[in-house]
This record gives sequence, C-alpha cells and structure tokens, in this order.
Amino acid sequence: MAEFLFEDIFKIERLNPDGKKFDKVTRIEAKSEKFDMFMHLDINTEIYPMKEREKFSMALSSTLNEDGTPDTGYYTQPNRKTLADNYEYVMQGKLFRISEGSGHGGRAEIDASFGGLLMMLRGDPSHFKKYELDQRLFLLIRKV
Amino acid sequence: MAAPANGDQAQNIQYTKEPFIEDVGPRRLKRMQFATLSASEISKLAEVQVWKGSYYDPNRKPIEGGLLDPRMGPANKISVCATCHGSFAECPGHFGYLKLALPVYNVGYLSNILDILKCICKKCSHILLGEGERQMFLKNMRRFKFDALKKTDLMKKIVKKCTNLTPRTMKCSRCGYINGKVKKAGSGPNSVLGIIHDHSKLIDGLEEYKSAISHDCELLYLADRPEKLIMSNIAVPPIPIRPSGIADGDRSNENDITEQLKKIIQSNASLQQELSEASSAGKHLLGWDQLQVDVAQYINSDVRVPFSMQATKRLGGFVQRLNGKQGRFRGNLSGKRVEYTGRTVISPDPNLKITEVAIPIHMARILTYPEQVSRHNIEKLRQCVSNGPDKYPGARMLRHADGSQWSLKFSRKRRADELKYGDIVERHLEDGDIILFNRQPSLHRMSIMCHRARIMPWRTLRFNESVCNPYNADFDGDEMNMHVPQTEEARTEAVLLMGVQNNLCTPKNGEILVASTQDFLTSSFLITRKDTFYDRAAFSLMCSYMGDGMDHVDLPTPTVIKPVELWTGKQLFSILVRPNANVRVYLNLTVREKNYTKLLANGREIEAMCPNDGFVYFHNSELVSGQLGKATLGNGNKDGLFSVLLRDYKAHAAASCMNRLAKLSARWIGNHGFSIGIDDVQPSEKLHQQKQETILEGYNKCDEKIKLYNEGSLPPEPGCDAAQSLEARITHILNGIRDATGKLCMQELHWRNSPLIMSQCGSKGSPINISQMIACVGQQSVGGRRAPNGFIDRSLPHFLRKQKTPGAKGFVANSFYSGLSATEFFFHTMGGREGLVDTAVKTAETGYMSRRLIKSMEDLSLHYDDTVRNASGCIVQFRYGDDSMDPANMEGKNGAPLNFERLFLKAKVTCPAGENETLSPEKVAEIVENRLSQQDMTSEGGCSVEFQTSLKCFLDEYVTALKKAREGFGLIESLAGMENSDTLEKIVLHISGVTARQLEVFLDTCISRYLSKKIEAGTAVGAIGAQSIGEPGTQMTLKTFHFAGVASMNITLGVPRIKEIINAAKKISTPIITAPLECDNNVNVARMVKGRIEKTSLGQVAKSIKIVMTNRSASIVVTLDMDMIQDAQLSIDANVVQEAILKTPRIKLKREHIRVLDAKKLEILPLEADRSKIHFNLHYLKSLLPTIIVKGIKTAERAVINKEEDKRTQMNKYKLLVEGEGLLAVMGTEGVDGHNIKSNHIIEMRMIFGIEVARRCISDEIEYTMKSHGMSIDKRHMMLLADVMTYMGEVLGITRFGISKMDKSILMLASFERTSDLLFNASITGKVDNIEGVTESIIMGMPMQIGTGMLKVRQRVDVPMKLSYGPDPILRN
Repeated sequence: MAEFLFEDIFKIERLNPDGKKFDKVTRIEAKSEKFDMFMHLDINTEIYPMKEREKFSMALSSTLNEDGTPDTGYYTQPNRKTLADNYEYVMQGKLFRISEGSGHGGRAEIDASFGGLLMMLRGDPSHFKKYELDQRLFLLIRKV
Repeated sequence: MAAPANGDQAQNIQYTKEPFIEDVGPRRLKRMQFATLSASEISKLAEVQVWKGSYYDPNRKPIEGGLLDPRMGPANKISVCATCHGSFAECPGHFGYLKLALPVYNVGYLSNILDILKCICKKCSHILLGEGERQMFLKNMRRFKFDALKKTDLMKKIVKKCTNLTPRTMKCSRCGYINGKVKKAGSGPNSVLGIIHDHSKLIDGLEEYKSAISHDCELLYLADRPEKLIMSNIAVPPIPIRPSGIADGDRSNENDITEQLKKIIQSNASLQQELSEASSAGKHLLGWDQLQVDVAQYINSDVRVPFSMQATKRLGGFVQRLNGKQGRFRGNLSGKRVEYTGRTVISPDPNLKITEVAIPIHMARILTYPEQVSRHNIEKLRQCVSNGPDKYPGARMLRHADGSQWSLKFSRKRRADELKYGDIVERHLEDGDIILFNRQPSLHRMSIMCHRARIMPWRTLRFNESVCNPYNADFDGDEMNMHVPQTEEARTEAVLLMGVQNNLCTPKNGEILVASTQDFLTSSFLITRKDTFYDRAAFSLMCSYMGDGMDHVDLPTPTVIKPVELWTGKQLFSILVRPNANVRVYLNLTVREKNYTKLLANGREIEAMCPNDGFVYFHNSELVSGQLGKATLGNGNKDGLFSVLLRDYKAHAAASCMNRLAKLSARWIGNHGFSIGIDDVQPSEKLHQQKQETILEGYNKCDEKIKLYNEGSLPPEPGCDAAQSLEARITHILNGIRDATGKLCMQELHWRNSPLIMSQCGSKGSPINISQMIACVGQQSVGGRRAPNGFIDRSLPHFLRKQKTPGAKGFVANSFYSGLSATEFFFHTMGGREGLVDTAVKTAETGYMSRRLIKSMEDLSLHYDDTVRNASGCIVQFRYGDDSMDPANMEGKNGAPLNFERLFLKAKVTCPAGENETLSPEKVAEIVENRLSQQDMTSEGGCSVEFQTSLKCFLDEYVTALKKAREGFGLIESLAGMENSDTLEKIVLHISGVTARQLEVFLDTCISRYLSKKIEAGTAVGAIGAQSIGEPGTQMTLKTFHFAGVASMNITLGVPRIKEIINAAKKISTPIITAPLECDNNVNVARMVKGRIEKTSLGQVAKSIKIVMTNRSASIVVTLDMDMIQDAQLSIDANVVQEAILKTPRIKLKREHIRVLDAKKLEILPLEADRSKIHFNLHYLKSLLPTIIVKGIKTAERAVINKEEDKRTQMNKYKLLVEGEGLLAVMGTEGVDGHNIKSNHIIEMRMIFGIEVARRCISDEIEYTMKSHGMSIDKRHMMLLADVMTYMGEVLGITRFGISKMDKSILMLASFERTSDLLFNASITGKVDNIEGVTESIIMGMPMQIGTGMLKVRQRVDVPMKLSYGPDPILRN
C-alpha cells in the first residue's frame, strides 16, 4: 500500500471567497482538522457538488498505483485497482510552486494546478518536505 | 554569364549550377559629371540639322530636315533608323540640332546669368573687383576644405559685393568703363523674359562672356565657359523620346516636345525674316522676344511669359518631364515597373501556414519561373512542357542552352520528348515557389515579405490571418501584390532575408508582429476558460484539429479522473505548445492578462491564484493557470507566448505553434459558434437603472459647478480662468460618467455576452465601445473641447443662450441601442467628421514625413568596424546605438537586450534542482564574479559595459533577496534545533535557492545570447530607423495633450510635434522650459522664483495710475498695490518700477522725469514742456504705462509650478514649467537650478548648450512624444536620427534644405525635391557624382553598396595550381 504524501480532513469554510466567476468551477476555502492547514481549491462542482460547512477527506499522492510504483506520466486506462477506488473525486495535476507563505511564523505554501484548477495549500513548513517542484500530484477527495 | 578570361581551366570545373557572376559589361560606370554643352558641341553631336517645322510629307513619310527626320531614329515600330539602320527596339535615337538666328537665354540658367552679368564689366569682361579682393576671394574659392555649399555661399558674397558697389567704383578698375545697372526684366505681366543691362539691346550679346577670363569663372563658381549658358544652337532630342503616333486618317499625334520645337522653328524663321529686312536695324526685335519665350517654354513650360505671348495650349517642357511624383526621376528612374507580378483581392485562410500564400490557379498559369532541367526534375518538367501554357502544371516557354527560345503553344509533344539537361523551362508556379508579397502603403520592411506559394482554386490571394498585422491588411476589399523572383540567388536571398519566419519581430522595438488576432484570440480565450471541460471524444477531436490529424499527440492524463474522465481546455494548450514528447520545447513564461486583479495576500501578489484567472503561467510547456488573451497570444508584447518561443526555440517553433493555434481556433470556433445579436446589446433592467443613476448624479454635479460659476465662486484651477476651469471640471465629470457606465457594463453583463468576451480577450473593442452600444455614448468632442458654439452663444438653437449643461454641449446620454435624439445625433456627426478629416489629412502629412526621413537616412549602413557611415564613407556613429545591438532582437523593456528575470526563471525550471546542493549567497556571488571576469564578458569580447552592470545588478539583487529569505527561515531554525534544518534547507532551496548548475546555465545563456544579438554588418540601419519612426506616425491620433500633472498647460504632441522636431523648426508652437529649483521642497520658494520669471506688467501691480494736474504741474502718479505684491511674493517697489520704465525704449523718459515718492508711489513728469501738448502726452503715457513689464522675462509667457510626489520619501518636489522661450534668462534667474534645466526647443538648446546637447534633446523629445502616444520605439533609432540631424556640426532639419547640406549626391537630391533646379545648378558648377548611394545606384541600375551588396565576393574560377609532392627543390638540386 502506497503512502500518501498528505492526508487530512478539511472543512469547507466558504465557497468562492472572491465572488462567483465560473459556472462549473467553484473555489472552496477550507481548513484542515489535523494539521491546521489552509487551502484554496478549485473543484468542478458540476460533477461533484460541494456545499459550505461540508467535511471531506483529502489526500495527495504522487501515484495512483496501489503498490506505490511511481507514475509513468502516461495515462493508462483505469480498469484495474487503484488508490482512486476509495475516493469519489480524483484529479491529476502538477506542483508548480513552493513558496514562503510569509507573514505569520514562517508558514510555507505549495501551489498546484490540476489542468488549470488551482490548489493553494498553506501550513507549517515541516509538512512540505516531501514535495518536489514539478511533481505529478493526484488529489483524492471523498466526503465524510 | 560570360566565361572568365582564362576559360580553358574554368571549363574543367563541373558546377551543379553556374555561379552567378555579376555582368559588369564592357565598362563599369564609376562616376558621372554634369556639364554644359556649347553651340559647337551640340552641332558636332548631332546627326542632322533640323530646319523645317513640318513632320510628314503628303505620302506620310517623314520630311528630311524636318522634326521627324528618320536620321534621328525610328518614329514607330514599322520604321527603321536612317543612321544606324536599327529597329525601334534597337536604336536609341540620334540627336539633331537647330540653329537659332540669335542667341537666347536658357531659362534654367537665367538667375546665374544675371549674377554673372552683375559681376563683370560689360566692356572688358573683367570682374568688378579690385585686384587685391580678387586674389583674396580666389584663394578662398580654391581652398580644398570648401565643399560645394560653402563655395556657393562665397559666390553669393562676391555677387553681393559687386552689386553693392557705389556708382563711383562701378567704374571698371581695368578699362575705366562705367557700368550701368543690371536687372531682371520687370515682373509685370507684359514684360519680356530677359535681363536688362548696358548691352542687352545689342545683337552680339555674347562678347563679354567669351572674353571673360578663366580665373573670373572660377570666382563665380562656374565650371565651364559662361557663354555655354546662352543658347545659340538647340539640341533636337532623338525621336524615341518624343514618339510620334499616327492617328486615324491624315493626322498624327505629336509629342509636346516636338510641337514646341515646331513653334521654335516658326518663330526662328520669322526672326530671320526680321533680321534680313535692312530697315529693322537698331529697332527692337519683336521676333527675338518671341523666340526667347518659345525656347524658355521648351525647357520649362511653367516659366512666366508676357501675357500676349502665352500659348493657348500649354505644352509640357523638359522640366515638367523630370519633376514631380510621376516625373522621370521619381516615376521611372527610382521606381520601375516590373514583370512577373500579380495583384488581386485578398482573403483569409487559417488553414494555410503563416509562411504560405494561396495563389489562384489563374495567376499560377500566367506567372512563371525559369527552372533548369536536371536529372531530378526532368520528368516533372517534361510533363509541364507537354501540358503547355493553358493546362495547369504547365510551362509557357522553353529556352535551350544555346539561347534559342520556343513558345510552348505549339508542338509541345516533340519539345517535351526532346527535353534535355540544361534546358530552361519557364514553368507555371507550383507549390513551394518563393513569392514576394506586398501591400501598399509599404511603411516598413515587413510590408513586403517572402511567402511560399500554394496553388489554390478560386480567385483571391489568401494567407493566414496572423500575418495581417505586418501588412496592416484586412479583408474588406484590400488588394495585394505579389512578385516572383526569377533566379535561384534572388529566391535564396528573399527567403533568408524577407521570409515571414525571419521577420516575426519588428525592428521598431523587438516586439512580435506576426501573432494571433481576432478570432484566434477569442477562441483561445474561451477554450482556456477555467470551466471548460471535455470528455475523451471531444478532447481527442480537438487535438486532431490542430495538426490535421496527422501529428502525433501524447494524450495527457485527464484532469478529473473520477467520477468521470474530463480534460480541461488548458490541457489542450499544453498539447498545442508541445504535442508529443519528441518536441523538445520547454516553454516557461508568466504574463499578466488584462483581467488580472492585483490582489495582495499577506503582502504578496497572489499571482496564479487570481480569482479572474488572469495570471498566465506556462511551466515547462504546461499551462498551469490563466486564461489566454491578447497579452499572451497577441502582438505588441515582448513576454508573450510567441515571443518567448521565438527567443528560446527560434522562429520555427513559434511559427509552427502559430499554425497549430490558427487551425485549432478556426475549426473550434466554427463548431462552437460565435456571433453577435441585438440581445447582446440590450441592457438589463438593473443595468438600465444604474446607468440612469450614474448619469443623473453626474448631471447634478455639473449643475452644481455651473451654479458656482454663475455666482462667480468657482475656485479656479492653477493657471486657468473661471470659464476654463469650469470646462475642465465638467469634462472631467462627464468622462467619469462614461467610464463608470463602461465599468458597469463589464460587471453586469453575462460572461457569454459576445462583445464582452471580445473586449476581455482583446480581440476587438474596448469597455468604452461596449458602453456606447449598451449604456451611454458619452461626450462628443471637437478639437479636444466640448461641442463649439455654431450659433450665437449656443451650439444649436435647441438650447438656451449661454447654456452650459452637458446636453447642450454635446453629451450623448443615450446608447446606440436606445437611439440618439436629434441634437445628440448632430453632435455625434460633428465628432465623427473631425475624425474623418483628421485621418485624411494625417495620411498625407505622415507620408511626406516618412519620405523625407527615408531620403535623409537611406544610405546609412553598418560597416564591419561597427561604425555607421553614409554612402560616401562619412562616419555618423562610431558604434550603432552605443552597443551595436540589433533592435529587432531586444527582449527586455526599454530596449534592454535581455529579460533576466524570465531567463532566470527558465534556467531554474528547466534544470531541476534534484538532489543537488543549493548555494549559499556568498558562493553565488563568487561564481558570478568568476564568470563575469572571463574573456567573453569584457568589452573586447563584445559586451558593453551597460550590459555587464545590468547583469551584475540583477544578480546582486538576487543575492540580497536570497539572504533575506534565509534569514526569514533562519530565525525558526535556531529555535527548532538541528533536526529541522534539513527540511528547512530544502524548502529554502525550493523557494529561492539556486544550484551551481542552474546558475551556470543562466549565466551562459545570458552571455551567449547577448553576443548573438549583435547587429550584422551591412544592415541598412538608416532605412530601418527611418521606417521605425515614420510608421508609428501614421497611427498617431489627437493633436495636443495635457502636460503631465498640470492642467491647462497644453503641449503640442503627435504628428505636428514630430514634424517640428524633424524639421528643426526655429519657432515651435509650445516651447516649454522645465526648470528645477535649487530648493525644491518648498512651495513658497517656488512661488518666489515663479514671480521672478513670469512677466509682470505695471498694470498688474499698480493700484492706480492717475493723472494729477495741479496749477503748477501736471504728472502721472502710479501707486503700487503693495498687498498684492506681498501676496505674490514679488520683490517690486517704486525703485524697481523706475528702473523698468527707464529700460523701456518706447518711452523716451529720462531719470529726471521719474520721481520716486516713497516705496509704493512714484510720479512721472511728462516729457513735453509745451503746455498745449502736455495733455495729450499725459494720456499717451497713461495708456502706455500699464503695459510696461516691471519684472520677469519678456519671452516667457507664463510659469506654472509643478508638484511631483516622490514615492519613496513621500515628499513633494516642486519645479517650474515656463511656457515660452528665453532659456538663458531663465537659467540665470536666482533660485533656478541652472545645471539641470532643459527646454523642448531644440534650436534654443543648440544655441545655449551646443551640438551634443541638441542631439540628446532631439532623441529625448522624439521619445517623449512617441511615449505619450503609447508607442515604444527602440532608442537606437532615435539616436541615429538625432545623429543624422547633428553630425554636420549644426542642427539640420530633415527638409530639402537640411538634406542638401548633408553631403549627398546630386542624383539623390534631384530625386527628392526641386529636381530641375538642382540639375541646372549641378551642370553650371560641374558637379561630380560618384554613384555610391542607394538612389544613385538604383537610377543607374547598379547593385547598391548596402546589405548583401556591400562586399564583392571574389570567387576563384580557375583551378588552383596543382602542387607536386616531392622532395624540396633545394634538396633536389
């Protein structure tokens, strides 16, 4: 069983903090329970609706293979058992920036793009040591 | 081509293609000299004497001795030359001559003859100067350093000296003859053409010229004998230049020249008659005058002649043939008509590559290319030959190696069978042929580019819309021209130098010019929207759109894997940039689009997280964020997608990406649909309401201001009166309304609204356009003001007099949708007409400006020693643009060669850090220091100091930022202990660290790329510079602008200002002196200095000027308003006023007339003692006194204090802006910082600071003007222009006078302006033209010495000597 890069339960605090701009995509603002992480995430709410104050479990992984073999970058048809089976909503993307989330107490920030749907995750730097720039990321969500 | 002399050896070499050797013919033209012909020379040159004024005999044969004598050449295609027996095509014609009964003046030389006659004695023909003076002038005239211009000036001086002689010295110093006055025959309508002097009535008027001694000729700057300026024989030009056509029946159509010659012969005959009548001796010869007039009109038909002698029909003379746009010089010699061209309407085709152009098959059948038969193409050409001229892949002509030509209309089968290697087939155009494509007006070099042909059905020329920009073409009926180069050399040169791929960038400023437009932007914008998702079928279909389904595409992992597979539009763009793994393009760029909102999160820009998705970020060819719009894909951006591709991966990558984008978007938008309808411009209820509110609010504000104004309590703006400030306020409010409604529209409209999409992505239209359609059209302006009063005190009779409400002065509150009211409509047409007139007027004006610029700079080119020189080798710049960089390759802002930030980002992203260690700031500094001291970074290695410092600066900044970042984390490090430091180190690395490898890559790319950006020797920098300045001129709108910060201070900008600068105008419309202050942080000091500069008249500071009459005396008492003087901080008191009055010359008062009573009072006594006049005198003084300027600079109209806020120190800085001239006086004013003062008046700057400052001023002023119109032009072009205008040591305008002082050849000047004058002058002074420049070479049909023609390649044609290998000859012996 492969290990996730990150796993936590988030609670949605707000939808579209800067106002609704797109029909199918919603930006959610969420806070995690375990690691006190702050997140902005764009989600295709047309196929996976989300509401305010909902809780969901989110995991980040660099591969979907169950045995943890690294992702090849080539897409294979999903007719075998993968990590995604346990989750309801899965996105694939790329980590494009790690930066200091300046301000309060040296928090760090990672930005990832899932084909234009963006994620910003802010938290203590110690949680981000496994991340590499340019890394493939799979984002897995299921509601709890 | 002709074989070289030692032919037998050359025969041995087998060329695949014969090398092109320029055929210089038997002789090469090296220089030409202008001269005059004497009568005997003319008769010697001629083949025949012409004396009959008739053309044909009754048998329709040319009469011998007539004007169409066959010995002067064949008159038409049927006849043959009687002298050389050549046909019409072969014989160039021969001259004849016509003997005049009496000599007449040549009108072209009339003024020169006048000058000569003024200077010489009519008896002994010596110059009317004393021997000493004569020697002195002669010495000057012979000075080697004197160029033609100075000699002309000297000659003028001599003429002046001779004419200003007093009657006493009018006596010739040699023979004592007393010379009369010499003048031109009167200027009245009935005066004859000629010169009146002592001997003018004598028939034998040539004597004094003949005996003038040669030294005197030199003094008068004559190259030849003066008698040659008088005509006694006329050269009758050969018939081919004055062809005679035979009209139907008995009449023939004769050329103007022939007809005029006939008139001359007739008047010559009647003069002969007059002379033979003995009685006429000593009588005024009427016939002579008539002959003079006829001969004058033969040369120049515009010459003024006595009214009675005017011909009914004006015939064109020789001067008319040469002059003007259609004249010989500009119409036939500088620009020639060519073969192998085509022209039709253009239309778009996104399926073509950007380098292609679709040629209609009809054109392809007519235009040909001569292809040599070889074993590679013989089958193809055989097919072409057998198809013949009418079936498409055919040929029109076959040329054998022996030079024989055969049309392929007949017996094609045989010719196709007999085709052999070496034959040349003029085949139809085929796919891939090289075509030059051009659209007028050709304002810059990208207006003619090289494409590859695609033969297509139908009748228009088609090309990819991305190439519209360089041609400035649209498809509303535009036509374009194409040319087919006919040799392999021409094709190669065309493809390499003019190919679309090699001209993606404009040399104006290095921005990309060939880029996506219109639909392509719209569809890209829609595809990359955040909420576009495609399923597998749709996504794959779109992938196949961009490459016609022929390219390999690596399908990426879908963005959403569960619950359904979905790809996003952004992934499609990642594919577009890099379709498969074999394409090694790693694009990295960040662009802020128009809709990027600059939100700050924790004091940092949010960049990619922008809620509007306006931050475009490509990360290793993957579109990470951002909706693509004009800033990324369009032209005019240096950091856009195509610019970056072009710079990092060369033209091919950019071009193929553009091709893919064009195909994708055209096909996608065709399926998706994008149209506009009435519902797009219907405002919603809410929008309508809000708009009404906004307008009402604005109207109320305006009413308030008007009320205040009527009460007289409107606070004035600085430097304005009440009415002006009211106008300024109201205009401000009304513009606010328009902007507010525009913003409202952008907010309220649905995102699917087509106009909104177009304006957001930048494909067409602005928020204002949308607002005009939906909400409110806004203020209509005429001449930069609100609608003017066409009636008494009102704009239209629908309004009350003096009404100043928005509606009455041209504010249109309606939208185009709701419809304009009658008055609104009328105001709108007023505004519209101004726009139309303006564009019409401007095209002509800017066209002429471009022409002048080109003419003055066309021959400047870059030489191998990095200098810019003109055709005669005179250095204009020692180093082009101070760093010899090619403006077309500049990547950074403001003409900087590189954009370090982008390159650094790219280096970091393309070389992943991996496990490598990050460097400490000290280490970074050390590596940088090391690299920068290597040879290729030194100035000998080709790096300018400026580049070195900028690179160093960038890295220094980086090092400090790195230090700061480490410190930020270092703080926690100490708290958390050692165990944490590893992770922290890694994070710091990710955030801002750099590895040794990354730094090395960055430095190497910077340096190598910098060195590759050097401009090539031979580049026609002059022509490029002139185009780069001339072309933006056509786009400039509006004439004046408000001066930065100060309302009410207008300065001329736009085309008029550019014109002023380029003309080096002595008087400019808005001279402004910018005077910094010695103490610039105190507004009171600024006011004081302002008071010193601004002119203050006595009337302004006087409380009263009264006439005081007592019984003992009468005087004027002036009382000064001391309170006001104190307020204005002027140091004026009665003494100052007294001095001022004394200094005014108009008032002839002496010191004793003015008595200072006390500090604020003075008494002025009248000048006149006479009691009867004293009253008038007093009143005269009283009216004059208020206008006396007591303080300030007379030439300075007014001064305005300009407040500037320094952003860093939060301090206000003050400086003075002085309207008017008088730089020197302002400089000398106490409190003004004279070291940093400047003026926008170039001539004044030149007078006071010298030529170097003038040069700087020119380039700064052009830059400022262009910048205020939002146009960026590389500074190198402006520097070059400034250098051209100043390199002769004085400021020369780009006008006919300035250009003629720039050391140019006669032919070039003649092709510019005043053609005939220049030619006449050149022949008198015997000018020599070395045929070095561009125009001269074109006129003489020779390759010019610029670009690829700069050097001659010497190719070794003979076989190198065979070396025998063996023992050394010394040993052998």
